[in-house]
Amino acid sequence: MATYSNQHWLLSHIRNSFISTDDTGICETVMLSDDMPKRYLWKFQTANTAMEAYRRSHRAAQQRKSQIPKTPDTATPMQRTGPLQHMMPPRIADPPLHEVDFVCYPGLDLSDDEDLDMSTHSFDIQMYPEVGAHRFRSNTAQKLEKLDIAKRKAARIKSINYNEEVLPPDRKDFFKRKVLIEQPIDKPSTSAAAAVRATAINRTELASDDDLSDGGVKSMLSEQMARSPKQTQNRFIEYARFDGTAQVGMPTKRINVYVNMLPEPERNYPLKICVLSTAKIIEVIGLVCYKTTLQYPDAVQLQSVQHYALYMTEDNDDMDDFPPLDNREPCSKFGFSHLTLAERRPLAPVTRIDYHNQLGTKSMTSEEDKAAMADAALNALQNFNLNGDVPDAGGGDSPLDHIKEYEQRLLNHNDMLEAPMHRTYRVSIIDKRFFKCDVTLAVSGERIEIDQHKNTKFWTQRKPLSTPIELVAHCEIVEQRQLKALLRIWLKSNSSSSLPTSCTSAPSTTSITTLIAGNANSSFVHSPASPRYPWMYSSSGFGFFTTISNIRFKHYDFVTDVHTAEQIRNKLNCILEMRASDIRREFLQQRERKQEKQLAKRQLKL
Amino acid sequence: MEATEEQLILATGGYDHTIKVWQAHTGNCIKTMRFVETSQVNALDRTPDKTRLAACGYQCIRLYDLESNCTAPVINFDGVQKNVTRLGFQEDGNWMFTAGEDHRVRIWDMISAPPHCSRVFDCQAPVNAACLHPNQVEIAMGSQNGGVYLWDVKSEVHEQLVPEVDASIQDVAISPDGHYMAAANNKGNCYIWQLSSSPSQHLSTMSPKKKIQAHSRSILRCKFSPDSRLLVTTSGDGTACIWKTEDFTKWRELSIKNYWVWDAAFSADSKWLFTASSDGIARLWKLHTKNCVRDYTGHTKAITALSFKDEIVAD
Repeated sequence: MATYSNQHWLLSHIRNSFISTDDTGICETVMLSDDMPKRYLWKFQTANTAMEAYRRSHRAAQQRKSQIPKTPDTATPMQRTGPLQHMMPPRIADPPLHEVDFVCYPGLDLSDDEDLDMSTHSFDIQMYPEVGAHRFRSNTAQKLEKLDIAKRKAARIKSINYNEEVLPPDRKDFFKRKVLIEQPIDKPSTSAAAAVRATAINRTELASDDDLSDGGVKSMLSEQMARSPKQTQNRFIEYARFDGTAQVGMPTKRINVYVNMLPEPERNYPLKICVLSTAKIIEVIGLVCYKTTLQYPDAVQLQSVQHYALYMTEDNDDMDDFPPLDNREPCSKFGFSHLTLAERRPLAPVTRIDYHNQLGTKSMTSEEDKAAMADAALNALQNFNLNGDVPDAGGGDSPLDHIKEYEQRLLNHNDMLEAPMHRTYRVSIIDKRFFKCDVTLAVSGERIEIDQHKNTKFWTQRKPLSTPIELVAHCEIVEQRQLKALLRIWLKSNSSSSLPTSCTSAPSTTSITTLIAGNANSSFVHSPASPRYPWMYSSSGFGFFTTISNIRFKHYDFVTDVHTAEQIRNKLNCILEMRASDIRREFLQQRERKQEKQLAKRQLKL
Repeated sequence: MEATEEQLILATGGYDHTIKVWQAHTGNCIKTMRFVETSQVNALDRTPDKTRLAACGYQCIRLYDLESNCTAPVINFDGVQKNVTRLGFQEDGNWMFTAGEDHRVRIWDMISAPPHCSRVFDCQAPVNAACLHPNQVEIAMGSQNGGVYLWDVKSEVHEQLVPEVDASIQDVAISPDGHYMAAANNKGNCYIWQLSSSPSQHLSTMSPKKKIQAHSRSILRCKFSPDSRLLVTTSGDGTACIWKTEDFTKWRELSIKNYWVWDAAFSADSKWLFTASSDGIARLWKLHTKNCVRDYTGHTKAITALSFKDEIVAD
């Protein structure tokens, strides 16, 4: 087959096969930055254009040369290679690829940036989970083995025919009437005794309500219960239900888990667990904790499940440097035979992978401290919940305050991971006084885009807008009704003139009042926090700007349901926070200054 | 793990086709056994020597060895046509009784080499419940057409009563002191008879004692406590009610809201009660305080049967 001799095709094929058979669930995040076929393609193309340029100049030189009398040695190809290497542009680090070395496979070179999007990977390939773990055996072989096992089991099971003929017992004493020891006779046999007892009962009932216990009898259960206080109830018992051992008709998974927290000899041996395939990773962690506490009751004091994470592991219990498995994924997604349960590591390596663009990486490192803080807060929360059902009444400095403080700073790991992903929302933009039109708002780690729906009326037709995330300053919900919310996104205006020309969608102030009917006198009433100045108000009917420190801000207003609004706000602010953008800081500072001024003014008035 | 004889075991089974064995005082699951893939567990009972656990369900009766690590049954009954609703053992383990929707209650000789059937009683209606009298020869039965039977397996004489027409008897119970018999139906009513016998007669005589309107919905089980002073009724209304046998007034009500309470079992000193409910959790209640002190979590569906064998310890 001709294609097999094509390196580019082979590289792509290997890569795609790897992705499609991968059961770790994270290969894509790891391989995303390492698209070899693409890199070679790029190199090839650059090299190719460079070579074209060279060839052209060389031909020109040759033409020039041909005008002067030819010497035999300049025409030898041996010497021609010399200047070729010499003239190669220095920006190509790798040795250049010649067309003979690297032939781009037709079709594979058509892709461009959009290929970075994971959604363009083929979804047609359906894989059975068994592939990769072990090879398929034929159905007959499997059936035969099952039959064999069943036969061997059956040999040990005694079988009785239910519909057998009735065979009366030979022995006369087979059914023996037992004479009951008439204990109750000495109890309430006479009515008088019963009456006495009844009054006694009534009395004790009032006193202790323990009327029915007679002192002499004690069961083994009572004894054992007395010996084992309430605390012995396993904390992870809620996860016991995910145990797949002996489950009938439910898909299960067997995993060997090394428990890193255990002391030396024990932690070298994996805990063999069988878990329901439907269980999420967090529930698998719970089950492992449960099993660990059962098997090694005194070895280790485990903390809450959030404290731990499952990491990929080689059979020799070497933990890999990959991020932990996602807590929310069902365990059936992963095909590991061995895993390690360890304390959750700081978030940094996880986030680095997801932000493959330079900017993201940079800002994430600055987030590391915050992540550690979030972890600490999480732990604090859990410990608080678990250790003290009733918070210390005596302790004046309640940990609750700290927790609340932390909670505000606490960015959910998952939110942070998800925030830069591209998502679209259907919202209505409030536009030019009172028009509302439906648009698609797309938010990603790189930009926000506003695109109008095709079916809107002709007079509101406008071009789609795209704003790089660097220019976005803030997002807030300015008004919230029962169902609808008014969402405002603040951006840096990129126009230099005071009368904006580019921001076609920038709403006027009057549009803000559309939700607040009959309250149009001042925008301060309903959005007191927006950093605007009445005297700067532009009558043009477009946006208006603040000019302090030379950064101007404009805003778009959207109407959507409360839930979506919150989603967009959280996502966008999460992105902005992670980028630690200067624009945002500037915006918030301006707003603060303005609020202070207002306050001062109000005090002056008073 | 402790030695087996020291260990108190609770066995539970339900709609997830599994039988789980629990360490009673810790709530830890010791062992899980697969039941039949097509059947729930209708009833569980342990052999008096505590080594085996018998379970019955739709078209199956199985006995499991509790002492080995093997989770496969040791005895399996073939050719069962319908639901087997109850089973139980004679106190020496000589024979076992089974009651089924095939209208029959059978007595199985468990000591002869291959166990075989030695008695059959035909109720002429699906049998929902059966219970052995402490005298070890009489069996009380309840059928779907509302009949309550008392049958002497030795002399094979029997007596029949119909306490309420158009009601199905869901469970029957006889107090360990042999004084009372209870039959509970799907209308939420529980009927009590006083039992009395003289050495000359074969069968105990039943005299109606009381009718309790115990629950608003169907009763699923009724059981007397080992000291015969309490009667528990469990119901589809989400409660287990405990009645004093002295006057059959309600003493305690344990509530598992919105779930059916399928089965219950007392400790030997009648101070604790296990319940099995449709939320898939078995619970241990301290009757004195009405507090649930242990949860036995692990079943993925409703628990319909449980078995607990306790012992009295000398002080």
